[in-house]
Amino acid sequence: MRSSRVLTLLAGWACLWGQGNPFAKDPKAVDEGREIYNRACTICHGYEGAGGDRAPGLAASARRYKRVSDADLFDAIAKGIPGTMMPPAGLPESDEWKLAMYIRSLRGTAIDHPGEGDAAHGEQIFWNKGGCGQCHLMHGKGGLMGPDLSNIASQRRLTLLRDALTKPDHRVVTDGGRHEVNLAPSGAYQAVRVVTRDGKAIEGVLRNEDNYSIQMMGADNQLHLFVKSELREFVYEPNSLMPTDYDKRLSPEELRDLIAFLSRQGVPAENRSKR
Amino acid sequence: MLATWLLVMSLAGAQSFDDLVKADPSNWLSYSGSFGAQRHSLLKQINTANIATVAPKWIYHVAKAEELEGVPIVANGVMYVSQADEVNALDARTGRLIWQYQHAGGSHRGFNRGLAIYQNRVFLGTTDASLVALDALTGGVIWERKMAGEPPLRYQGGAPLVVRDKVIIGSYGRSGFVDAYETKTGEHLWRFSVLPKAGDPGSETWAGKDPWKFGGGPTWLSGTYDPELNLVYWGTGQANPDFVGDVRAGDNLYTECVVALDADSGKVKWYFQFTPHDTHDYDAVEIPMLVDATYEGQPRKLMVQANRNGYYYVLDRTNGKFLHGTPFVKSINWAKGLTAEGRPLVDETKFPSVLGTEVCPSTAGATNWPSPVYNPDTHYFYLMVTEGCSINYKASDKFQPTGTTEQGTSYVEGKGEQARWQNYVRALDLISGKQIWEFKLIGTNHYGPGLLSTAGGLIFAGDNQGIFSALDAKTGKSLWHFNVGEKITASPMAYAVGGQEFVGLLAGPNVVVFGLPDAK
Repeated sequence: MRSSRVLTLLAGWACLWGQGNPFAKDPKAVDEGREIYNRACTICHGYEGAGGDRAPGLAASARRYKRVSDADLFDAIAKGIPGTMMPPAGLPESDEWKLAMYIRSLRGTAIDHPGEGDAAHGEQIFWNKGGCGQCHLMHGKGGLMGPDLSNIASQRRLTLLRDALTKPDHRVVTDGGRHEVNLAPSGAYQAVRVVTRDGKAIEGVLRNEDNYSIQMMGADNQLHLFVKSELREFVYEPNSLMPTDYDKRLSPEELRDLIAFLSRQGVPAENRSKR
Repeated sequence: MLATWLLVMSLAGAQSFDDLVKADPSNWLSYSGSFGAQRHSLLKQINTANIATVAPKWIYHVAKAEELEGVPIVANGVMYVSQADEVNALDARTGRLIWQYQHAGGSHRGFNRGLAIYQNRVFLGTTDASLVALDALTGGVIWERKMAGEPPLRYQGGAPLVVRDKVIIGSYGRSGFVDAYETKTGEHLWRFSVLPKAGDPGSETWAGKDPWKFGGGPTWLSGTYDPELNLVYWGTGQANPDFVGDVRAGDNLYTECVVALDADSGKVKWYFQFTPHDTHDYDAVEIPMLVDATYEGQPRKLMVQANRNGYYYVLDRTNGKFLHGTPFVKSINWAKGLTAEGRPLVDETKFPSVLGTEVCPSTAGATNWPSPVYNPDTHYFYLMVTEGCSINYKASDKFQPTGTTEQGTSYVEGKGEQARWQNYVRALDLISGKQIWEFKLIGTNHYGPGLLSTAGGLIFAGDNQGIFSALDAKTGKSLWHFNVGEKITASPMAYAVGGQEFVGLLAGPNVVVFGLPDAK
């Protein structure tokens, strides 16, 4: 009796240390991890991993993390990170695995949980009925005004893809709380219209701007570079050029398939560079 | 011939106390350029009429630097530029290196916001909490002194200030403090601790009456000085834990204050607290500027401060009496106004919460450490303003700090890009604080750089895209600009060598100096 109990315990240890995450298939584990996180980790890493002044954000999409797998994260949580302020968490191992899963879920993008549907059909929608390719580049083909979507599923969560297609107020959420990267061109694709001194009107999106000059990508797929004093008119268009009524333009099946296609365009987290 | 003259000047012109008081515009002898920190240069060779012809004269790249935050000092044709644990002495006319000092200890990482100079000694605070006096001509170490007190001490980069024969410097142990050291020997003369010891006056403003249990009150910038009153003015930072006030009920003196210290003893002559019981980390370290002006028909010795909390304050600097205060931003919700005594009417519904509370201005502030300026010709106070909010969190409703450095969680920029912060240069009427004009810095949103005013009728303003502009001090109209190619966060300064005016600026890892074209 005693020996069989010991064997069970040993099997448990083997599961924890030898074979990776024992909760990998537990649908409740991420939520439980969130509870634990908000109890134990926010003081340094901020609410929902947003980051604090004492420790980095854990879910910043612009950041390249050294630890991307559950096992890597578990290791850092359980042992701490020597040479930094990150201490061993000192929690039950089961909690530490769930924490690792929660942190990974914060970083997960669409490619990690792609939408269901017929992706091949979605690709047809992308190029034809949806008109997406008129403005967006996809693997080297398409328009230049909008963002290149070739890696979109590695950059955005699934819910954000859906929001971008259907919600007028959709904006990309930035990492927040950190200093802005310097000299970064605008990532907001602000729609603008200019009229040159000789009366030529050009519409497009802003790539960068300061008090004295603008750099824009025109609807003619050409770069236009102006010193503001050379322009007769320069206006921000109130609305984005991105349509947000795809739930009306497309049938529910077509929209589902388009999202299924978009949510497969990218590189899964575990294959990304660990630089 | 000119070179000989310069050499003689360098040897002869040991900066005396009188030199510091007079602040000859050829030199820039302290972080703020003068004791009152108006940052208004009397040089006017570069002015509104010829600014269009101004061009870069030289660039010096500070090796291994990323984002320099100091203000160069210039004395007798030599420029001193610092980064963490390092000083570079440059020929201020050509940018050529004369000597470089590398501190043997320290991390050589983090911010350094500048130096002080006195009697041919250059004073540097180091990351291992030492104060070093260097020979201004050679860079040789005259003395080096560990800051007094129990380690760990953390010097946070604020420039030292020389007052008579004392170097005054802010630093941090379990409490922020302001120290005075003798300039000749480095002997420690006095210390003002921002947090009172249990039982001392001020400790009753902390629940539990022992503020040292929590920590706080950092003093990470420089101060100002009134030679007639012999008072040193210094701003103090937040109480710990920054975002959770529940465990420290009370006003939490002397955090979020300006303190007026007797320069001889370090004793508090008076204090004024801008944000009692702060829960938004609005450090009040912004330079307290000293201006003599007419207030309600009477000549007054004033102190003005545009605080990170969004209010512009006018105080009587002889006694700390609050005279006037008004918001200088539109985005402000943490308080509903100020009382007649200058105390904020705090909106407690804006305290940080577990799910996040939108607080305006953001914790990064309506303005921050980069310096404002005052032009005595226009009577305007000019500053860099950020309009913006943050979402402030606390870790839990039952948060209990276990150490003296805890924040109790964090803040994040408000609502993603919906609430993009926006920087402006604003001119305010010195007395009323009323906005006269503003210059929107397109594409800039965080920690705008500081300003420089000159008698040439110009306000120099950088932005964090790297554009350096000269604005008409009267109207705010841009008259000139140059793209320095690096993020600007520091404050510009002006000096002259051999009768030629220069405007100097630290941008990214570089020193960039501008002037008029050389005479042909």
